[in-house]
Amino acid sequence: MIVPFHHLLVLATLLFLLGLMAVLVRRNLIMILIGVEIMLNAAGLVLVGASALWQQIDGQVLVIFLMALTSAEVSISLAMVVYLNRRKKTVDVRAFDELRG
Amino acid sequence: MATWIFYILGAVAVIATAMAVTRRNPVHAVIYLVNSFFALALIFYLLGAPLVAAWEVIIYAGAIMVLFLFIIMMLELSPGEDADRKGPGPLQWLPVLLIGGSLLACTLLMLQLDPGGGQELPHWYASPRDFGYALFHEYALAVEVVSFQLLFAAVGAFYVGRADERKEKMGDAT
Amino acid sequence: MDSRLLLLLIILPLTGGVLNACFGCRLPRQMRALLAISSVLASFVLTLICWPLAADGGTQVTLFTWLKSSGLQADIGLFFDPLAASMTLMVTGVASLIHIYAAGYMEYEEDQARFFALLNLFVFAMLCILLADNLLLLFLGWEGVGFCSYGLIGFWYQKKENALAGRKAFIVTRIGDLFFTIALLWLFALLGTVNIAEINLRATELDPLLITPLVLLLLGGACGKSAQLPLMTWLPDAMAGPTPVSALIHAATMVTAGVYLLCRLFPLVSLSSVGMATIACIGAATALYAASCALEQREIKRVLAYSTMSQIGYMFMAVGVGSVAAAINHLLVHAFFKALLFMGAGALIHLAGGENDIFKMGGLKQKNPFLFWLFLIGILCLAGAPLTGGFFSKDAILLTAFSRGDGLSAILWGVGVFTAGLTSFYSFRLLYLVFFGDYRGDKSAHHLSPLLIWTLPLLALLGLFGGLINLPHFYGGSEMLSHWLGVAPALELPLPTEIGLLALMTLFFVAGWLPAHLFYRKYQPEAETPWRRFLLQGWRFDALYERVILQPYRFVANFCWIGGDKALIDGVIEGIGRTLLHWGGYFRQLATGQVSFYLQGFAWGLLLMLGWLLLKAVT
Repeated sequence: MIVPFHHLLVLATLLFLLGLMAVLVRRNLIMILIGVEIMLNAAGLVLVGASALWQQIDGQVLVIFLMALTSAEVSISLAMVVYLNRRKKTVDVRAFDELRG
Repeated sequence: MATWIFYILGAVAVIATAMAVTRRNPVHAVIYLVNSFFALALIFYLLGAPLVAAWEVIIYAGAIMVLFLFIIMMLELSPGEDADRKGPGPLQWLPVLLIGGSLLACTLLMLQLDPGGGQELPHWYASPRDFGYALFHEYALAVEVVSFQLLFAAVGAFYVGRADERKEKMGDAT
Repeated sequence: MDSRLLLLLIILPLTGGVLNACFGCRLPRQMRALLAISSVLASFVLTLICWPLAADGGTQVTLFTWLKSSGLQADIGLFFDPLAASMTLMVTGVASLIHIYAAGYMEYEEDQARFFALLNLFVFAMLCILLADNLLLLFLGWEGVGFCSYGLIGFWYQKKENALAGRKAFIVTRIGDLFFTIALLWLFALLGTVNIAEINLRATELDPLLITPLVLLLLGGACGKSAQLPLMTWLPDAMAGPTPVSALIHAATMVTAGVYLLCRLFPLVSLSSVGMATIACIGAATALYAASCALEQREIKRVLAYSTMSQIGYMFMAVGVGSVAAAINHLLVHAFFKALLFMGAGALIHLAGGENDIFKMGGLKQKNPFLFWLFLIGILCLAGAPLTGGFFSKDAILLTAFSRGDGLSAILWGVGVFTAGLTSFYSFRLLYLVFFGDYRGDKSAHHLSPLLIWTLPLLALLGLFGGLINLPHFYGGSEMLSHWLGVAPALELPLPTEIGLLALMTLFFVAGWLPAHLFYRKYQPEAETPWRRFLLQGWRFDALYERVILQPYRFVANFCWIGGDKALIDGVIEGIGRTLLHWGGYFRQLATGQVSFYLQGFAWGLLLMLGWLLLKAVT
């Protein structure tokens, strides 16, 4: 291990929090999806780090699955963004509040 | 030395990500994010995962981010770039240039430290051969499941995209 | 002879009723009446054919088992014994005549099909009462006649009074039915059977202490159906129904069902001396009460209604003093002459242009002399003029009471004789007011269908000579009915006593007739006195019940409704609802529909989980 594991964790946490910030604060659907991507990457970083820590290959395998999952998620969510944009001519998440009680 | 490169790359990744999430213009955000992913890819390499690093670049920075860009352009979400014909000012292109430059520097440094791509930088690393062996032996079932998932995602995306066309057709019929 | 013919007896009117109810509207008008008349007439003929079956202890026939469960068995089974046979003959005969009469009376009625369907169903239900071999089937008929009576009293339901009168009759008789139901279930609990013959046979096994309450419960049921004190208030109001209905249901048949019930269960009833005395007292009291009310009634049908009540009082008295034969005899004769009177009254109302008030009639003798003579026969029978059917049957009752010789019976006898005088008075009052003097009404006569007149003579003959069916030995008769019913013939009294009683009865008849002749021969308007109003309103029993029963009941009901249901139950339930709604309003705001808001929820949840994990790691 080139660095202590917890330094890696700190880096991953920072990235994750940035992604979370984007998800929570931004109103643009695209930006929210970008935030999700960032968080997934942070998770991937932890997995790779763990793989290096215990010198096991499983963590890296999981990252591959994570990437496959992400691409699936992104393809569908972007399709929905297109759909929503077609419906309301906007990608502002505040416009889509039909579930309001 | 490798430790220092790690910290630099970590800092670059955090800064690039921070820039990405704060951009008003989604295209800019995507560009910063691509940089952040590059930094992460380098970190993955340092942590002994060269294959994952390559995929990070190919899948994330390449495929997914391009898809984002593609959608942003298609929906014309980028706020009026062409309204002012001046183009982006230095405040907009300088940070990304700095980040990109530092990444390039790190890459060159790493190339110099470990020219043959051997085992010197990471203490332990998973060769593509090991990786493939693990993936298709221990995790063969998971691979199948994930492939199904990708198929479903493709069908789903196709369906969501088509839904409106059908409505238009119905509208024409009436 | 095939005993299964008996089943046809009740099935025929049922079929007629059902056909009329289902398809009556599509049949031609004449067909509806024809269907109804023919089904009842066929029943009558069948009764005559089956008559021999009643001899030698009767015939029992079962159609199928109706209810069967541990110990309880009720068949659709008929028991055709002399008592049932004579009643059935009377009911089908009178019902046939009244159906024919109704065909004329309801000629221009819109809803003929409904009328005849209900009338036929009534006959079916009545025959169920008469012929049932078990109390459950009897009860089915009992409720059936109640329902048909309800439907027919309120036949012209567009007028609210009629509908209310129907409802009143239904509810008041239902109170009686409640007692009957209790008695029925109790009998079943005690004896394990509902078969009438078996109950009568095994009545002596019962605890003597239990018999008196049982008899009183049965009496309660009989009182409700037969409009005896204290459940008598519905009968005068029931006159709101069409006149054929009043004649059939509220004079000849249904109201006598109570008497029939007591006679049917006489072996049981007679075991309780207290019960018998109560029956006799209620009968006598009702006879006197109703006769006094009839004195001042203004509507022709109400006079007859009170007289019916009074005569049924006599029948109860007869049962109470232990003479079934006298009761049944009076029942039969009364059915004939009261049906005659009611049907005559219906014709008279037509003749007076739909006028009910006898003070606005008068002089109808000139308009239709034949009707006058027929009506006179009815009045003579009712008043108990010597040698008419009504005289013999009433005399037999009073004679039985007299011959018992104890103090109570003597009082009953006295009341009976006095009531006979009253009866004579109000009968002739009715006769004089309606037929004599000048016509005081202002309406012109309606068309009188010949059916309204020509059904009457037969009844008049039956009423006039009805005494012959149980003529005592004293008059050279042979007490046919007593022998036929298989009960002990009336006691023989010494000849002078008989003659004395005969003279007394005649005296009271004349004593009733004379004042009527003096006061009402020439019409003069009457001043309204409180006393008259008191009698007109039936001793204000309606007002009394209103105050004693209905008002407290309404108060309790209102309290339960407003206080219990609305305030308490609704309050609690709606309170819960409102509280939830109120809080829901707050929680509702959590569902903003904003994606980022929901994601914040995720984030806080994540924080919470992390915090908890941290806490666990630290401790």
